[in-house]
Amino acid sequence: MSKFLLFLGCTIPTKQYSYEISVRNVLPKLGVELVDFPESGCCGFPLKGLNKKAWIYMSARLLSLASKKGLPILALCNGCDTSLRKIKDLLMHDKDLREEMAKLLSNEGVKLDINAKVYHTLEVLHDFVGVERIKSLVQRPLKGIKVASYPGCHMLRPSDIPRPEDPVEPRKYDSVIKALGAEVGYYPDKGGCCGATLLPYSAKHALLIVASKLKTIKEYGFSAVSTSCPYCMEMIDAKQDAARSEVGDEDISIPVFYLTQLVGIAMGLKPKELGLNLNVSPVEGVLDRLGVSLYE
Amino acid sequence: MSDVRIGVYVCHCGKNIGGVINPAKVAEHAGKLPNVVISRDYVYMCSSPGQLLIEEDIKKYNLNRVIVAACSPRMHEPTFQGVLKRAGLNPWLLQMVNVREHDTWVHENVPEKAEEKAKDLVAAAVARAAHLYEINTVRAPVVKSAVVIGGGIAGIRASLDLANAGIKVYLIEKKQSIGGKMAQLDKTFPTLDCSQCILTPLMVDVSRHPNIEIYAYSEVVDVSGSAGDFKVKVRLKPTYVDWSKCTGCGACVEKCPGRAPKEFDEGLGVRKAIYFEFPQAVPRRPVIDTEHCLWFTKGICKVCEKVCPVGAIDYKQVERYVELNVGAIVVAIGYELYDLSKLSEYGYGKFKNVISGLQLERLSSADGPTRGKILRPSDGKEPKTVGIVLCAGSRDENHVKYCCRFGCAAAIKHVYYIKHALPDAKVLVFYTDVRAFGKGYEEFYQKFRSEENVFFIRGRPAEIFEGRDGSLIFDVYDSNTNQLINVRADLVVLEGAVVPPKDWEPLRRILKVSCDPGGFALELHPKLRPFETTSDGIFLAGAIQGPKDIPDTVAHAAAAAASAIGFLAKGYVESVPYLAVVNEDLCSGCSLCVPICPYGAISVSEKEGKRVAKVDVIKCKGCGACAATCPSGAMQQNYFTDKQVLSEVVVLAGGAK
Amino acid sequence: MDSRILNEVRELVKPHSPQYCYQCAKCTSACTATKVIPEYKPHLIVALTRLGSVKGLMESGIIWACTECWKCSEYCPQDVAPVEVVIALKNLSIAMGYKPPEDLKVMAKNVVELGYVSPPIEVLSKEFEMYGREALSLPELVKPYVSEGTPTNLKKLLGGVYE
Repeated sequence: MSKFLLFLGCTIPTKQYSYEISVRNVLPKLGVELVDFPESGCCGFPLKGLNKKAWIYMSARLLSLASKKGLPILALCNGCDTSLRKIKDLLMHDKDLREEMAKLLSNEGVKLDINAKVYHTLEVLHDFVGVERIKSLVQRPLKGIKVASYPGCHMLRPSDIPRPEDPVEPRKYDSVIKALGAEVGYYPDKGGCCGATLLPYSAKHALLIVASKLKTIKEYGFSAVSTSCPYCMEMIDAKQDAARSEVGDEDISIPVFYLTQLVGIAMGLKPKELGLNLNVSPVEGVLDRLGVSLYE
Repeated sequence: MSDVRIGVYVCHCGKNIGGVINPAKVAEHAGKLPNVVISRDYVYMCSSPGQLLIEEDIKKYNLNRVIVAACSPRMHEPTFQGVLKRAGLNPWLLQMVNVREHDTWVHENVPEKAEEKAKDLVAAAVARAAHLYEINTVRAPVVKSAVVIGGGIAGIRASLDLANAGIKVYLIEKKQSIGGKMAQLDKTFPTLDCSQCILTPLMVDVSRHPNIEIYAYSEVVDVSGSAGDFKVKVRLKPTYVDWSKCTGCGACVEKCPGRAPKEFDEGLGVRKAIYFEFPQAVPRRPVIDTEHCLWFTKGICKVCEKVCPVGAIDYKQVERYVELNVGAIVVAIGYELYDLSKLSEYGYGKFKNVISGLQLERLSSADGPTRGKILRPSDGKEPKTVGIVLCAGSRDENHVKYCCRFGCAAAIKHVYYIKHALPDAKVLVFYTDVRAFGKGYEEFYQKFRSEENVFFIRGRPAEIFEGRDGSLIFDVYDSNTNQLINVRADLVVLEGAVVPPKDWEPLRRILKVSCDPGGFALELHPKLRPFETTSDGIFLAGAIQGPKDIPDTVAHAAAAAASAIGFLAKGYVESVPYLAVVNEDLCSGCSLCVPICPYGAISVSEKEGKRVAKVDVIKCKGCGACAATCPSGAMQQNYFTDKQVLSEVVVLAGGAK
Repeated sequence: MDSRILNEVRELVKPHSPQYCYQCAKCTSACTATKVIPEYKPHLIVALTRLGSVKGLMESGIIWACTECWKCSEYCPQDVAPVEVVIALKNLSIAMGYKPPEDLKVMAKNVVELGYVSPPIEVLSKEFEMYGREALSLPELVKPYVSEGTPTNLKKLLGGVYE
């Protein structure tokens, strides 16, 4: 039994509930024990443009709190995962920065400790649970569904720190999808960006990015998309209509699932146990093909 | 030591020394030290008047030790040793004191302390000088023959030059034919003459030269001995064909049913399981590839044996070894292309239509897999748009840091290949800098950048994607026109980075040659001695010293050969002055010094009833490792004996004050 | 034209090496933002940073167009890490009094006060019902800070942005 601190970050517990629901319902069935981490909060990643030290501080704080609990962190969000690992790496190599952060943390009674290990959902599924185990638990194979994996930028980059997916030859994500009985495939710029960070500067341009991504995926004959990052989900699932209006009513609609939702569907969980009723994109089509009713 | 008579000479080196300390004060202080007969300072001690001053003093004052406090001994020790020789003294009675690099250059902010330090250093040298003694070197003859490792254009040129000078040459080639990378090229820049046309006559010259013996399909596995008298052990790999019987008729190759990717075509073509490396191979003798031969893999077939008219096929052949005795070794093993699949963003190895520059050479060659037609590998169609990417892996902190030195000119040549074969094709060259530095290269660049539908774009693709029809889709930002260009190309050619061959590292250890940060062989001096190594008698020819194009490779190889000829023609090698010397009375024969010697120069043997160490004076390079290891002090190193060093240390530690 | 800005940026992007940029523009070829906002060019931002002429970048606010996809950094042959140069320039622009996009200020305020970039919201389901955490039987979201030290530290670090 692997045991992790469930680190939700910001977007998931305030908006992307389906990710949290599917993780809470799927992972324990795969032998993963989740321990709540209510004192966690924001990893600081969104603050880095305003003040890099604020970012470093927030992640240093999280690492320290987790280290004290002696459990590895399960980061659901790509941004959180990158943030924690990047700051861990920075602090490991910079003594002055460590001293500065230790001082700040002492103001709130926390001792700096960056030893906590950090893992992403994909790693828990692929490296801890394992493809064979997942395969053995499949009750409803996703037959005939061709799924485009959409790992998202920070699952792959920056590759000078450990990444959940193999940054050179991404293959973990697809091998999990394949284990569920679905098809996988190549499409250009699979490791590309959803544009979420562009939203505050220009929503219009962020939506153009979403539209172009979905267009390519459809062109390459996929019937669904899967991501494991709440920001990517927010863009490619929730903003399909908005993106379509930016590109003149081209049909870019396609069902988008969290990876944990796909795993849950294949394991026979009920759609509501996976929060599928909260997905904005047309997931019903895929569910119908599998003989699953969204409202069962 | 009552008759030690020392002269001390303190140099100003203009302002280098004189501008920081007062050399006259240092000389004055030295004058009061024991055994010092005369001490002086002078503005440029290395100048003619300075040298004459010392020479006259030696005679006038009957000096038998000379101390020069000046610059580094690396600079002028030989100069002042010449002064001693001219005055009739053994040159090793000179002691240099470095008061420039070790003192005034580093302590110019504290001149008083620098002057004190100069006085101390001179005092230490005075103490040491009392223990100096005459050192005479010995000579040994050299064997007038050479091994050349590597049969590419560098090894070919070096072998021919050595052989023409009357030196017996053994040319060792790891593949079955000489010719190297140049044999794979279609044409050569900037003149566009056919590579094979200028290379193959030289290959034939090598094979016919009475002074050259080729060991093909062979490798050097051990080198012992030392400069002038190396023993080179060569492994002749089994070819499963008796080359002494074989006539090269090719009947076996023709009938062989086995197939394998053709190395010579960089994987684009197919060859038989018994094969010539290429049609013009020298020696023209086939080899059986046991990984693809049906007899070796499945125990069936034996067609080659049946069709061979001279009975040369020998499935039971085993490797053989020969030992060659030579005076010099020329290393000419060239380079290798960097594994381009490591640049995962470009898709080499993943997308069929992303190829290397060398693969394009094969596509363009008349004897290549497409008989000289440039067709894209995925579907054999003529490409309409071709992208050429420069610096693929070169000048890159994540891959190869240095410049490949021929990618730019090769890219321009590749523009010619494409435009010549496919006049209507569009060619996009993605460059960062076009380094057209060689003779005629700028003119070459000028000619081809003016061609119709050839576009030089100052930018570098970051990610290449594959379209559904096998074409390649990517964006390039052109910083000349300030726009992002969306490219759809049918073929992409990567001008890849260059690295030392994989077998260089083990060979390097056998040869005891140092390497540079890129892994290439380290030359003795980057400007003045670029074809010699720190190991005497071992010379470097061509790209193993660093990436080179053909003109530079040939020039370098010829220079290496000339240097080796000079070394061999001199007729002798001379021992180093800093030899290790055994005091046989003290030596217990413990043998600790034997394994510590990096040159294998020490042996222990019976002498008058006891075991004592013996130093081979030619092999010894004077590193001092044995002297430092010797527990009894029996092993001493000339010019660095315990007495000499310790007497200096005592003074510097304050003992003489 | 001076190296002061470059040196400040170097300090913020350690251990990357913006000073080694040789303007191959591979970063801009890779850039997600360039494809939709052509005025945004990472190689040019690095070049301007080296010259010390970054005023235009800060005034126009173009540095905020970066999508932080990290491709520039991934493919840079000289370990320049343009994305981190841009982050450093954002920090410096704020220190020099330029304004960040409004949404980011709101996010910062939320992180200080709530611990999250936004308060929990109710979302619309496919059955056209609004769901919040409670309705979905998810545990209540509490303010994560265990001591007042955290928001105090954050306010200090964020300085003017928070006010």
